[in-house]
Formats: sequence, structure tokens, C-alpha cells
Amino acid sequence: MSKTDDRNTLEGILAGDELIIKDFYKENLPYIRKYILQNSGNELDVEDVFQDALIIIYKKMSDNSLEVTASLRTYFYAICRNMWLSRLRKKKKLIIDDTIVQNINEIDDSIIQEIENKEQECLYRKYFHRLNDSCIEVLELFFAGKSMKEITSITGYTEGYTRKKKYDCKKLLIEKIENDPIFQELKNTQNS
Amino acid sequence: MKRSQQLFEKIEEYLANTLSQEQKVAFEKEIAMDSKLSIEVDKQRDLHRVLSDTSTLEFKRKLQRIHQEIKAEEQQRASDKSLKLTSPIFSYWKIAATLIIFLGIGGLLWNNFKQSNHIAELYASHYAPYPVEDVTRGQAKNDLSTVLQHYENGEYKTVINELEGLAILSKKEQLQLYLGNSYLNTGREEEAILQFENVSDTSKYNEDATWYSALTYLKLNKIEKSRSILQEIIEYNGLYKIKALALINQLEK
Repeated sequence: MSKTDDRNTLEGILAGDELIIKDFYKENLPYIRKYILQNSGNELDVEDVFQDALIIIYKKMSDNSLEVTASLRTYFYAICRNMWLSRLRKKKKLIIDDTIVQNINEIDDSIIQEIENKEQECLYRKYFHRLNDSCIEVLELFFAGKSMKEITSITGYTEGYTRKKKYDCKKLLIEKIENDPIFQELKNTQNS
Repeated sequence: MKRSQQLFEKIEEYLANTLSQEQKVAFEKEIAMDSKLSIEVDKQRDLHRVLSDTSTLEFKRKLQRIHQEIKAEEQQRASDKSLKLTSPIFSYWKIAATLIIFLGIGGLLWNNFKQSNHIAELYASHYAPYPVEDVTRGQAKNDLSTVLQHYENGEYKTVINELEGLAILSKKEQLQLYLGNSYLNTGREEEAILQFENVSDTSKYNEDATWYSALTYLKLNKIEKSRSILQEIIEYNGLYKIKALALINQLEK
């Protein structure tokens, strides 16, 4: 892919252009899937890693901090590979495999640091999107800074019910995040 | 520290800076003295920071949608392939059916046959065994990985023998899906339905289970039942909506 193509893709990602994102997704999913499935992962891991890596690119595009020296694809694969290795290590399932060892040599320190910093955010978003629709609706309005009054007028719930619902959903979300082995590992690393 | 609605609201007000100066000072004192509370406040601060970034949330949602579309396209391609593979069998049945008409058994039987042939084709084109995913965390890892290997190899009778003897099955809803699919592939549809219907409404596997029970009823030629379950799936508006819509449209034909 040429530099111009890469630029177009990056701009499409930033603008949320579904066609461009879907093309990029379709073109690269098979490689990432193959890599993760071959290295102790499953289909859900593939989905998480692929999307979280794209989010890193999206956020770097948003704050204008993206510096891609190689091709976009090389950069994206490096994020995916390193992200998956880091998650495997946290899940304590790292099996020494020739391809993994080979890839460790290619690890770019700045990418690793970037991934470690974002890991917690990825977990928060992952479990947020797994809540049921009514929880997502209430919490999304709340996190967007809407007042209790505005939330009740949108959802049609009473204020008491909305407050209770917000608490139940938020508590459930925090518990789900805390139960994830990656979160526990992150916490251990922070404490050590 | 016990989580409560009151505590959460206090933390929220603290983070939103809406506590009075007096309340704020008192709460900060509390935080300084209670390390667990301090961790909880940090956790909620992070949560608020991440989840108030609505554009990233929206981007993630878009990616999930695209992922589902691509998976649906992949499955469609795979089932088109399997339909092509199975179509000679259907052709033989059609020849046999034509002979029956020639033998004078009559149009009624032909219509029934055509209908069930259509249903069998629909079932074949929409059914794909529930994929093996990571259920091997925890203590039962070794036992389960062997079972899942058998499942992936299509050795369904072995899977049934192994899973039926497993005491933890009721706690592992994903395993019920594997057992149900194994029944489904060994002509034990009624037992498959029991497994699928036993997955609780609040489980994250409930949608998978509902989809497979719709397919099982379809296989049993109970079209109305299948249709009403598909309708529920469509209304639920989740991962299987597109598939359910496609199937229900084809059922109308």
C-alpha cells in the first residue's frame, strides 16, 4: 500500500468512514486472526485485539500524535502483535513459540508503552459495551454529563428508578472489570 | 468499604466537584484515611474519564458493527459452499419425489415434500456448529480441552458421552451450547432444545442459545415456533438480528 493510500485510510479512520474502515478491516483481519489463533487465542481475542489496536490509531489520529515511519499495515500489525503478547503474558498463558520469540525481537518500545497505558481503557470500554442496552443507555447519558432530569425525560424512567439503575449498572460494570484476569494483573503491576 | 448507592453518589458529586467546600474537605479526609476508598475513587475517576469520551465509544461501536457484518458475510460464504456440497443429495431426493408423482401418489404429497425440502435446505444453509471458544480457563482445563477437540472434529457422540457425565455443566452455559449442538448433529433434537432452553435469560450466551433453538425447531419442521423465536431475536436487536432477518425472509418465500 502506498503512502497516499495509507493517508486516505488514516483519514477515513479519523472521519469514521465506514467503507474505508470496513475495507481495512476485511483486508487485515485474516492475518491478525491467523496470528492470534496460532498463539493460544480465540475468536473473541481476535475481535478485541483488532478493535483495540484500531482504537489506538484512531485516538492518535484524533490528538495528532500519530507518527508512522513504516507502512500503516506494518505499524498496525506491530500494535496487534505486541498487544496480544502483553495480554497473553497477563493471562499467564505465554507459551514459548518460535514465532513469538522471533517477534519479540521486533518489539518497538514506544508501542509497548502505549499499549500498556491503554490496556485499562480497553477493558473499561469492552465491558461497557457488554452491558445490556438499558444499562448502556443510562450510563452513556450519565457519562455524557446529562443531568438526572434530562436522563429521566429521555428514558421515561422515574428519577428514583434512574438513580438506582445507574448505581446497579455501574456497580455491575466495575465488578466485571475487576474480575478480568488482565485487570488483576494490571493492578499487581501497579502495586509492585 | 461496602459499595452502596449513597457512596457512589457521593463519589460522583466529588468527581463532578459539586460538593460544598465543607463536604469536600470532610470527604477528602475520609479518602486519606481509607486506602480502599481511595482506590475506589481512583477507579471511578478513570471510569468516568474513559466513558465520557463518547467519540471513542462511538468508534468502538462502529467497529463492532463492522466486525459482525464481516462475520455474517464469512458465514454466508461458508454456508453457500456447504449448500453447494449438499445439493446433489437434494437433487436425488427431487428425482425420487418426481417419480412418486409419476406413480400417481399425487400433488399433495409433492407439495409437502417440496416444503420440507425447502426447510431442510434453509436449515442446512443457516446452521453452523457453535464455534469453540475459550472456555478452558480454570481448573477443568485439561478435561475440557479434550472434549472441545472432539467437538471440533465433529465426534459428537463422544462429546455427548463426555459432557453428559460432567457435573459442572449447569454452571457452564457455554458447554450447554456444545452439548446442544452435539445432540442436534446426532438426531436428538428434543434433547438439544432442552439444553438451549436451559440457558438462563440473563446469561450472555442466551442469544446464542435462542438462535440455536430457532434452528432446531426449523429442523423439526415446527415452522411457526421457529418463526416466533426468530421474531424475538430480531426484537432483541443483537448479534443474531441480521441472520434471523435473513432466515425469516426466506421462510416467507
